[in-house]
Amino acid sequence: MSDSILRSLDITNFRSIRGHIHAPLDAKVVLVHGENGAGKTSLLSGIELALTGQVQSLLRADPNYERQLLHRSAEDGSVVLRALNGSEQTFSTTLAPDGAKSDNGLAEPLAAFFRERAFLPQSLLGQLLQIYQDAGNDAGSPLAQFVGKLLGLDRLDALEAGLKPLVDVRNVRKAVDGWLPAENEKSRLDRLLNDQRKSRSAINDRIIAALAELATICAALDVGVEVQEDSLDAVSAALSDGRDDEQFATLTDQERRFAAIRREIGEAQSAASTDTPLPGSDASERYSQWEATNGTRVAAARARIEALLPDLSLPSDPVRLADEALTRLRTERKQLEDQATQARTAIVRRARAQDERDVAMRQRETIDGEIERLSATSGSLASALAELTSFIDDNVCPVCDRDFSEVSADSLSDHVHTKIRTLSASAERLLTLGRTRSEVQVTLERLDRELETLAALQLDEEALAALDRRRAAIDAVNTELDAMADALREGARLRSADVAARRAVSEAQSRQVSLAATRETLTSFATSAGEAGVAEGESFDAAVVRLSERFAAQTSRLQLRVSQRRDGLNKIAAIRTDIQKRQDADTQISADFSAWQTADTALERAQSLRDQGIEVRNAVDRLRSGIIRREFNDRLNRLWRDLFVRLAPGEPFVPAFRIPASSTQKLQPKLITEHRDGGEAGGAPGAMLSAGNLNTAALTLFIALHLSVPKELPWLILDDPVQSMDDVHIAHFAALLRTLSKEHGRQVMIAVHDRQLFEYLRLELSPAFADDSLLTLELTRGARRDSVCVSKRYSYKEETALLAVA
Amino acid sequence: MSTAPLIQAIQKRLRAAGYHDLSTPLRIAGVEFPFTGAMRGSDGRALDLVLLVDTTTGDFGDRDGERVRQRVEALSRALDVTASRYVVTLILAGAALAEGVETLSETCRVLQVENIALGQAGEPADETAERQLDDRIRVLLPLTLPLAPTDPENGSGPAMDQLIRALQQGTDKALLDAVVEASAVGEAAVTEAVAEVVGQFFKASSEGEPS
Repeated sequence: MSDSILRSLDITNFRSIRGHIHAPLDAKVVLVHGENGAGKTSLLSGIELALTGQVQSLLRADPNYERQLLHRSAEDGSVVLRALNGSEQTFSTTLAPDGAKSDNGLAEPLAAFFRERAFLPQSLLGQLLQIYQDAGNDAGSPLAQFVGKLLGLDRLDALEAGLKPLVDVRNVRKAVDGWLPAENEKSRLDRLLNDQRKSRSAINDRIIAALAELATICAALDVGVEVQEDSLDAVSAALSDGRDDEQFATLTDQERRFAAIRREIGEAQSAASTDTPLPGSDASERYSQWEATNGTRVAAARARIEALLPDLSLPSDPVRLADEALTRLRTERKQLEDQATQARTAIVRRARAQDERDVAMRQRETIDGEIERLSATSGSLASALAELTSFIDDNVCPVCDRDFSEVSADSLSDHVHTKIRTLSASAERLLTLGRTRSEVQVTLERLDRELETLAALQLDEEALAALDRRRAAIDAVNTELDAMADALREGARLRSADVAARRAVSEAQSRQVSLAATRETLTSFATSAGEAGVAEGESFDAAVVRLSERFAAQTSRLQLRVSQRRDGLNKIAAIRTDIQKRQDADTQISADFSAWQTADTALERAQSLRDQGIEVRNAVDRLRSGIIRREFNDRLNRLWRDLFVRLAPGEPFVPAFRIPASSTQKLQPKLITEHRDGGEAGGAPGAMLSAGNLNTAALTLFIALHLSVPKELPWLILDDPVQSMDDVHIAHFAALLRTLSKEHGRQVMIAVHDRQLFEYLRLELSPAFADDSLLTLELTRGARRDSVCVSKRYSYKEETALLAVA
Repeated sequence: MSTAPLIQAIQKRLRAAGYHDLSTPLRIAGVEFPFTGAMRGSDGRALDLVLLVDTTTGDFGDRDGERVRQRVEALSRALDVTASRYVVTLILAGAALAEGVETLSETCRVLQVENIALGQAGEPADETAERQLDDRIRVLLPLTLPLAPTDPENGSGPAMDQLIRALQQGTDKALLDAVVEASAVGEAAVTEAVAEVVGQFFKASSEGEPS
C-alpha cells in the first residue's frame, strides 16, 4: 500500500476558495497553513468531496449543504483529485449552483473508510468522544462498525441476525413451515378433548347415579346380587324372576274366590237376618213387567261393560252394577286420556325438538363454515401489518417497492389501516364464533338427550288410535249408563223387591244350611290361603275383615315389588345405553388424544430445536462479545493509551473503553479513565481530564481507531486538530505525526492556522532520510481577488552540524 | 559518562529503541556544549537529538535550572545558525521546578523522568517501573501496533471453531451444521436453514387431517 498516495488537487470555486488553485500533494507530509477563512478546511473537504461525493461534516450540520458548495460569486466549479491508489486515478466532482455531481469517486467500503477513519474534520474532533460514549450495541453504532471492520465477524453476525427470529414465537410461526398449523391443531384438539372428557364424565355420573338407585331397588327386593357395572346381567336376570308375578296371580285368584265367599256370606247373613214378612206377589209381577221393558237394554249394557272391563266381576244388581261400572270406567277413562295427552304432547314436543335440533345443526354448520373461511392467523397478520405501518411514508409499498397509486386512488397507509382493521375484526370475530359454537354444541347435546327421552314416551299412531277407540267406547257406555240410570234404579228396586220376596222364602229355609256351609267354605278357604280358619265364636264379619286386610296388604306388597322390578329393569337398560355411550366416548377420546400427542410431540421436539437455536445465538453473542472485549482491551485500549501518553506524558489518567466484566450478551463499552500506573478506575474522561487533554483524548482516539483497523487507505488528514499551542504539547504532537509518517507509512496531511505551530511542524517534520519529503501549502485570499495557494517542497538534506564531532 | 542509574536506564532504553550515543561535549558551529549525555536517532528519527540532564547529581550545572536553560538556548541558537534541522529533546532525569520545565518547553521538547524504581544494575525494578519509564519518554520510542487479528478477511477460522467447540454438547448436530454452513452465505440463509431444521417434525404430521 505504500504506493497509495494523493498526488494533487485542483479546486475551482469551491466553498471559500475563489478562482482556481492547484495544490500538489505528493509528499509524505503535507502541511497546510492559512489564516482563518483562507480556505484550509475547504481544501481538505474538497479532497473528501472528490473521493466520496459528499462532505460528512457539512451533511451533519445541514442536509441541504450541497447548494452551499459552489463559491458565491461563481457559476460553476470543480474539484479534481489525482491519486495513486494501486494505479493512477482521478477523482472529480463538478459543482453547479444547485449542487455537486460526483463524476468519479471511491467505491463504497473505501469511501466509508475514508470518511470514518482517514479524515478528521475539525467539527468532528469535539464530538468524537461523545459519539463513542453514546455508542450502544446496535449493529449500526460507530463502535460496532469499528469492531465489525476490525474483525470481520460476518459469519457470527449472520448467525446472530439469522437466528434472531427464533426468539419471538411470532417470527417462528412465520419462518417455520407447519409450526402455526401444528399449534392450531393442538389447541383445537385440546378444546375437543376437554369437551369430550366433560361429556364422558357426565355420562359416567349418570351411570353411577343409576347404579346407586338400582342398588337401592335391589336391596328393597332382597336380590342377592351385588350391583356393579359388570354384574348387570345377573341383576337383570334376578329382577326378571317371575315368582312375584305368579304369587300376584295366585293372590288375585284367591281374592276373587274370597269375594265370592264374601258374597255368599253376605247373602247367608242377610237371609238369616231378614225377618221381613213375605212380600206380596205383585212385586214379582211388577219386576217381570220392568224386565220385559228394560231387560234387553240392561243386558246389552252389561255385556259392553264386561267387554271393556274383563277383570271386573260385576254385581248383578243393576244399580250397583251401574255405579261400580261408572266409577271404574271413569278412572279408566281418565287414565286413557292422560296417556293419550302425554303421547300427543310427546309427539308435538318431539317434532319441535327435532326442528330445534335441525336449526342448531345448521347454525353450527354456518359457524364452522365461517371459521373455516376466517384465517386463524389474521390476528398475527394484523399485528405484523400494524408494525409495518410505521415504515409507510408515501405510496410506495415497503415490501414490493411498487407505487400503490398504480393500483388504487386511495393512499397506501389508508389501505393498510383498513386491512388491519379488517384483520383485527376477523380475529375478534373468530373468538365470538368459537364461543357461539360451543353454546350451540351444548344446545345440540341437550336436544339429543331430550329426543331420546321423548322417543321412549311416544306411542305409535295405531296404539294411540286404539286408546282413543277404547276411550270412545267407555264414553259411550258411560252415556248409556247415565241414560239408563232412572230405569236401572227402578229396575233394581223392583228386582230387589222381587228377589227379596222370593228369597225370603227360600232363604228362610236354607238359612241355617247356608250359614253352616258358608262358614265351612270360609274356613276351608282361609286354610287354603294359609290363614287361620274361622274360629269358634269369631263372627263372620271379623273373619272377613281380617282376611281382606290380609289380602290387601299382600296385594300392595306384591304390586310394589312388581313395579320395583320393572323400574329396576328399566334402569338396567338405561345404564347399558349409557355404558355404550361411554365406550364410544372413550374410543373417540383415545383417538383424539393420540392425534394430540402427535402434534404435541412434534411441537415439543421443534421447540427443543428452537431452544437450541436460541442457545446457539446466545453462544454466538457470548463469543462475539468475548472477542470484542479482548479486542478492546488488547488492541484499542493499548494503542489509545500509548498514543495518549505520548501526547500527555504528565497526565496520570488515561482514557479507555471499559467492557463490563460480567458476561452479558449486550456489549456496552463505557468511556472511562484509568490511572496510568494501574489501580482504581477514574470517572468519565469529561470529569477527569482538562479541556486540552480531552482534545488530546479525542485526537488520539481517532488515530488509534485509524491504526487498529487494517490499513485500507494510508492517508491521515487532520483539519486543525490543535486549536492553540496550549492544548497539547505541540512538540509531542509533532513527534507523533512524524512517527506515523516515517514509521507507519501514513501520508499525513494537516492543516494549522497558527503560524508558530506551522513553523515548528515544518522543522520537526523535515525530511529525515533520502526518500522523505515534505510539502507546505500556504493559502491566502483577499476580499477582491482569487485565492492563492503557494506550495513549497522540502527535500532531504544531509545534516552536517554535528558531523565534525561525531 | 554519567554513572547515575536513572541516566543509565534511560540511555539503555533509548539504545534499545535505535538511538546511538553521541560523544560529548557536542561541538556545533565551533562551540562546545557539555552534556551529561547526548543521543541521536536513526532512520525516520535521524533528526532527533536527545540531550540528557541529571537534575539530581549531574555536572555542568545540571542541577541549576537557569544554567541548563542558558546552555540549551545557546545550543538551539547554534543549530539555527548552521540551518540545522535537528529537533532537540531534553530529558530531565530527576526532580525539576515546573516553572523551569515550562520555560524550557519554549525552546525544545522537554521530557521529565523521575520516581522510577530502579534495581541494582540500574535496571527498572519491575514491569511497572519499566512501563513508567517508557511512558515518560514514549514519544521518542517507536509506536508498535498490536498484532492484526488472524484472518481478518472473514474472521471465520478461529471464531467459528471456537463456536462449534463451545456448542458441541447439548446441541443438535444437524441444526448446528446447517446454521454454521449457512452462515457463510448470510443472514437470510441462516434463518432459512434453521427454519428447515426446526420445521422437519411438522412434515409428517401436516399430512394428517386438516384442522
